[in-house]
Parts: sequence; structure tokens; C-alpha cells
Amino acid sequence: MTDQIAIHTAGLTKHYRDVEALIDLDLDVRAGEVFGFLGPNGAGKTTTIRTILDEIRPTSGKATVLGLDTHTDAVAIRRHIGYVPGDLAMYPNLTGRDTLTYFANLRGGVDWTYVDALADRLDADLTKKVGDLSSGNRQKVGLIQAFMNRPEVLIMDEPSSGLDPLIQRAFQAMMREVAAEGRTVFLSSHTLSEVQRVADRVGIIRHGRLIALEAVASLRSKAIRRVELEFASPVDAAVFTAVPGVRDVTVNNHHAVLSYDGTMDVLLKTVADRYQLVDIATQEADLEEIFLTYYRDEETVGEEGAT
Amino acid sequence: MLANVFTKTTRDRWRGTAIAAASLAAMLMFAMAVYRDIDLAVYTELPEVFRSLMNIPEGADVASLAVGVAYGLYGALTFAALALVTGAGSIAGEERAGTIGLLLGNPRSRTQVMVSKAGAMVVLTALGAAALWLAALIVPQLLNVELGQMAVGAYTLHLFINSLFYGFLAMAIGAWTGNKSLAAGATAGVMIVSLVAVGLLPLIEGLEDLARAFPWYYFDGSEPLINGVHWGHLGLLTAGSVVFAVAALVGINRLDLKGPTVGATLLDRLREHPLTRRVADRLAGSARVSRIWVKTASEHQGLLVVTAAVMFFMMGLLMGPMYTLMDETLLGFADQFPETLLVLFGGGDMSTPEGFYQVETFGMMAPIAVMVVTVAIGAAAVAGEEAKRTIGLLLANPIPRSRLIIEKTWTMIVHAFAVGFATFAGVAGGSLLGGLGMSIGNIAATCLLVTLLGLVFGGLSLVLSAGTGRVKVAVFVTIGAALIAHLFNSFSQLNDGLAQAGRWSPFSYYLGSDPLVNGMHWGNAAVLTGLFVALVGLSIILFSRRDLRQTG
Repeated sequence: MTDQIAIHTAGLTKHYRDVEALIDLDLDVRAGEVFGFLGPNGAGKTTTIRTILDEIRPTSGKATVLGLDTHTDAVAIRRHIGYVPGDLAMYPNLTGRDTLTYFANLRGGVDWTYVDALADRLDADLTKKVGDLSSGNRQKVGLIQAFMNRPEVLIMDEPSSGLDPLIQRAFQAMMREVAAEGRTVFLSSHTLSEVQRVADRVGIIRHGRLIALEAVASLRSKAIRRVELEFASPVDAAVFTAVPGVRDVTVNNHHAVLSYDGTMDVLLKTVADRYQLVDIATQEADLEEIFLTYYRDEETVGEEGAT
Repeated sequence: MLANVFTKTTRDRWRGTAIAAASLAAMLMFAMAVYRDIDLAVYTELPEVFRSLMNIPEGADVASLAVGVAYGLYGALTFAALALVTGAGSIAGEERAGTIGLLLGNPRSRTQVMVSKAGAMVVLTALGAAALWLAALIVPQLLNVELGQMAVGAYTLHLFINSLFYGFLAMAIGAWTGNKSLAAGATAGVMIVSLVAVGLLPLIEGLEDLARAFPWYYFDGSEPLINGVHWGHLGLLTAGSVVFAVAALVGINRLDLKGPTVGATLLDRLREHPLTRRVADRLAGSARVSRIWVKTASEHQGLLVVTAAVMFFMMGLLMGPMYTLMDETLLGFADQFPETLLVLFGGGDMSTPEGFYQVETFGMMAPIAVMVVTVAIGAAAVAGEEAKRTIGLLLANPIPRSRLIIEKTWTMIVHAFAVGFATFAGVAGGSLLGGLGMSIGNIAATCLLVTLLGLVFGGLSLVLSAGTGRVKVAVFVTIGAALIAHLFNSFSQLNDGLAQAGRWSPFSYYLGSDPLVNGMHWGNAAVLTGLFVALVGLSIILFSRRDLRQTG
């Protein structure tokens, strides 16, 4: 199966002195998918990426990219990847085109008509010095740099920071095209809407541990729903919280809003017994709510992964 | 004054001061230990011009001689340079780093920020001077040397006020232009020109008094080590500092703050012009980024051009005719020149052109020139890319870490040889101009050896850069090591007991065989080359093993 796994980590652990940045990470990213790597700041996303790129070495465990070991085959791996680091910095005295030429010379096999096409799509100005560009425009140069040699695996750490919504959309389309061609995108982000739009699967990391790994579709079908209820008379929040599967209840006089994962029958019967229901609206929860739910649960369970 | 701005500036800068003070104290101890064991009669019989030129006070004893050498030249220059860097960086540095907006976004006036920065500079310089003063009191005790009539306190006070003069000058230029490099460069220029003028002018008849026109004269023109504080001179320097400080305050309140933008170079302008675009594009664009070593070379080209030009014109070409001018004056005293001091400058016999060039050009300036270039490249090689956070992107390309080291080493070699060649061309030209008839082959041999010596210390800075990922560590440790190696080599020549030990210093493989007189010494060249190669190899090993730093 190795030929179908783009990135594989086994027991990947990284300690910085006494800080455990990454604990026992087991992860498989499949070839041809967009994998969203979610987590709050400081969760270990960047540490994972830097380990995969052999910038830092794991304390224990190992990782492979396209079946090659990240440390011993580091150079071979880098022939097949494109990389956008988080907090991107480039050479301020070079123009965008100089920067791309520099990396193209180190990498080889860059098709300049493709570079121009990418620049066009992202509306990037390659004639200005990188140091004189705004952060969003600088980010575009970084993105072109990662895409320009059509890599097998794209590894990107918070790639859409600073991009305006139109360019973000173009960038998302580019990621989907990469996956459609059978190539792989590893996308670290905390922009949930973006991950929801482009990712096939998401991994959620917190305090250095992977706490969830699921397809975006099945995450949605966890059937967490946003339910809005309108009653004839004022209601009491306690009635709703008593129902198993109900979370985040806000009650405002006649009106109640809550998250719910369970069968609608149970919820409706319980409330209809007590109050007169006037109206009901339900909505599929978006990733953000699922994400927040995961984290809130983690917190209430206890900070076992905390350092 | 803002306590936190003051504290932060002090915290950012105290290491430099501490390292400088400790190195100078060590240097003082070493000098004193050597002088203690030799006959000082030669010094006291020297004509006055030479004594003042060499910082030897009248009626010198062991202690004052050592203080004069360690503090008078190295100490005063080091502390003036430290103040200069702090002054230049105070506002212009924050602009370059892009932090000025954030800092002044707080409800504090520009004046308050500036005053706090100036306060930190004054306090740090004062602490450094106080440390030197203490060292000069303690070291003689440790070595059983009599302190004599020396006014160490007065001397360090002069040193303190003198340093502030250059610090405030740099601060004023920075505050008016917002350009850190300009502030540091212009001030360093004033300092060096004034130092050289004060040294050379008294040697030329009729021009002795012109030295008073240069600020460095007011540092030790009155021989404060012997005569105590000269309040008139200190008053002048202080008045100058106050004028610069006021100018800085006015300047900073007028300045339009800049973000971290990139300046436009001449090449950039040529790139924009339709007539020159194609050629300039090749030079600045595709050619510059064709390889890592070429790009690195272009980043350091400014430093290379300045260094090579100074070595070619000033230290090379100019010295030939200079020798013919000064010949007679010097010859009369040549025999009386104390070897003890000459070894510090390379130990040449001043009565011959070779000896003159050895003292003026090859003794100190040539090694410094090559090292400026090699250490700048070596220290920035890895740690510089880490500090600028570009290393991740660079190493995401399919190149092994060893290739990065090797490419940067190429740049270092090319630049070192460029400086070596400029020196060769200058000295050979100077010899022709002055009709000195020096051996071209011997000049070439000496230049090759100094190039290799510079590469050894460049290699050391590369090891530190690759091993620690910190630019400052690489620069400061290398400078310290070079200084100690130089002194160790110089003083060991004076003391028979140390003569063998001097072979541990790389400097002894440079001028130890007297290449300007005796020609090439291949054995020494091989030792220096071997050392350099070993250091590059060690850099590769250390760099391949460690985690990259995420920030600088």
C-alpha cells in the first residue's frame, strides 16, 4: 500500500528540551487527496511539517514521504515536494521573478509558461522586489514557488494568510486541481472554512497529539446540527440541557438555539411535552462548530495532553 | 526616560560590552606579563613623536606601557565602535527591523524613546569603562607589577567620553536619515580618518598642530594616563556629544518613519530604464541567482569592493611613495625602534621597504581586511539564513545541507582571494611607483599567505555559524579568537620561553617565515590550508546533525 500513501508518520515524537511539541503521531496521508491538518496555535502543526522536511529531527518515531525516509532520503524527497513555510520569509532584495529563478535553478525542471499562468491566476506581480510587496502579495510568490515544478506532494503551512477572498478562492481551486491530477496536498491551517471547502480528510491535533482523523464528509454526518426553536411562551434552558446530545444552549425568552447530535424525535418529544412549539429550523453544522465541539470536549475531559 | 525601552536596549547590547571588557582585560594581563619580563630602556629613549604615535607615555613603566597598548588603541576603538553601533541602531535599526511603528504606536513620544535609547548607550559605555578601570587596578596586583604614577581613572574617563562622542554622532545621523548603514558607516569613517590623522600628522614637519582639528586628538592628545584628566579636552568632546544629542532629538521628531523597505540600488535603476534593462537584468537578475555561491557573493559585494579598494589604494599603492617621503626621518631612528612594539604590527625592520610594508600593510591591516570579508560570509552563511527565516525555503529544495556549506565556502574563497589580489596589486604597484624594487614573487607569496590566514578565521566563523545558528556568536567569538591568536603570536616572539608556544597561533604561519624577504613557505601554506579544510569539514558535520532554528 506504500505507493498509495503520500505521507506516513509512525510514533513521531519531538521534544524541545522538556517541552513535548509532538507526541506519538501516527498519520497516513493518501496520495491524491487534500489533507487538512487542523489545530490551534502551538498545537504541533508546524513541528510536524518541519520534521517531515528534515529541518528538525524527531526525538523518536519516523516519517516517510512517498515511501522515502525523511532523514536518510531527505534530498530525494525534496525533488518531489513543494513547500510553503508558515510565516513565509524570502530575500527582500530580489524581485519575485529573481526569487523563482533562484529556486528553479536549485530544483530544475521548471516550466516558465506554467509559472506565468500561475502568476496570472493569483494576480501576482513578479517584477517588484519581494521586500517592497505587501504580505499578501509576498505570499503569492511563495505559493507560485511551491506549485511551479508540479510537485507530487505539496506541503503548506497556513498558506492563505494575507490573501484576499478572491485570490483565496483561486488558490483553493488550484489545490483541488492538484488532487484531481492524483497529486497530494498537505494543508495545515486554522482557517476552517477553507479546509471545509477543499479537504477530503482532516486530522485535528492538539497539544502535540492527534485527537481526530476523519473524512470531512463523515465529520459532517456526525449529525451535529444547529437547531433553532421558537415557542409560544418563555422557556427554561434546563429543559434542553437535560436531553442527551444537546450542547451550547442559548435561551432568549421564547427562543432557543442549540447544537444537537441525536435523533430529532427525542428532542421534539421532550420539548413538546412542556411547551407549545411554534417554529423550528435546523441547519447542518459547519466544520467550525464541529471543531469547537471537539476542543471543548477535550477541555472538559481534562488536559491530559497538556504540557 | 522610559524604563522598559532603556532595559530592553541594555539587555540587547550588554553582551557586546561584557565580551569587549573581558577581552581587553585579558589583553592587558597578557601585555603586562610580557612587558614585566623585558628591559624597557629602549622605550624611554625614543624620540617623543614615536612615543606618542605608539601610545607610550613619557617615563613609561611596565604597567602604563601595557595599559597604553591594550586600552589606548584596542580599548578606545572597541568601545567607540560599540557606542557607534548602539547609536546608529537606536531608531534607524528599529526602522529597518520594521518594529518602529509598533514601538511608537504606544502612547510615548519619540523624544522619550530616543532619550531612553541614549541613556542605555551612556550607561553601557560607562559600565564598560568602569570594568576597564577595575581591571587596570586588579591586574597589576595579580602579576606583582607596580602601578606607579598612572592615572588609570582619568584615562578610562577620557575613553568613556570619547566613545560617547561617536555614539551620539551616529545617533544624530541615524535620526536625520533613518539609514542605519549610513549612520554607522559615516561615523566609522570619521573615526578612522581622525585616528589615522592624529597618528600620522605629528610625523610631518609643519603639520603637527593640524592634529588638533581631529576629534581623536582630544581622547589622548593630553596623555591623560600620565597627566590626569584634561578638563578642557573632555569639555570639547562633551560639548560635541551634546550638540549631536540635541541634533538627534530634533531629527527624530522631524523624520518620516519608514517601514522595513528595501533601498533601490544603482542596478535597480538601470533595470528600470529601457536602454539598460537587458544588460542590467542579466547582471542583477538571472546571473545573480544562478547559484547559491553567486547570490551569496552578490550579497557581500559592497563589503568586498570597499575592503579591496582600501587595500589596493591606501595600504598598497599609496605606501610606496610614502616610504620614499618618510625614508630619511625613519632611518635615523630605525635602530632605536623597540622590537617589542613593532612585533605587534608585524615586526618589520622599518629601514627597508619590505619592513615598512610589513609594519604598515601586512602586519595588521591585511589580515584584518581579509578577515572582515571571510568572517562576514562565514558567520552569515548558515546563521544568517536562519535569522532571516529563509533557510526552510532554501533547504526545501533537493540539495543536501553539505552543499549549502560548500557553496558558501566557495564565496568565501573567491572573496578572500579578491582581497588578497587587490593587496598584491596595490603593493606591487606601490613598489613600482616608489621605485622600491621589492620582489614581486615575495609580495605574491605574502598575499597568498594572508589570504589563507583569513580563510582559517573565516572557517572558524563558519563552524560557529553552522554549529550554533547564531550570527552574533560566530562574529564575536571569531574576533576574540583572532585577537588572542594575534597577541599570543606577537608576544611569544619577545619571550624565549614562549617561542615554541607561539606555533599554536595561526598567525605564526603567516609572517613567521618572513615571506616578504624569504619568499614562499609552502609548509606554512599547507598548514593554513589544512586547517581551513578541516574547519569546513567540521562545519558540514555540525550542520548536518542539528535542528534548524526557526527564528533568529
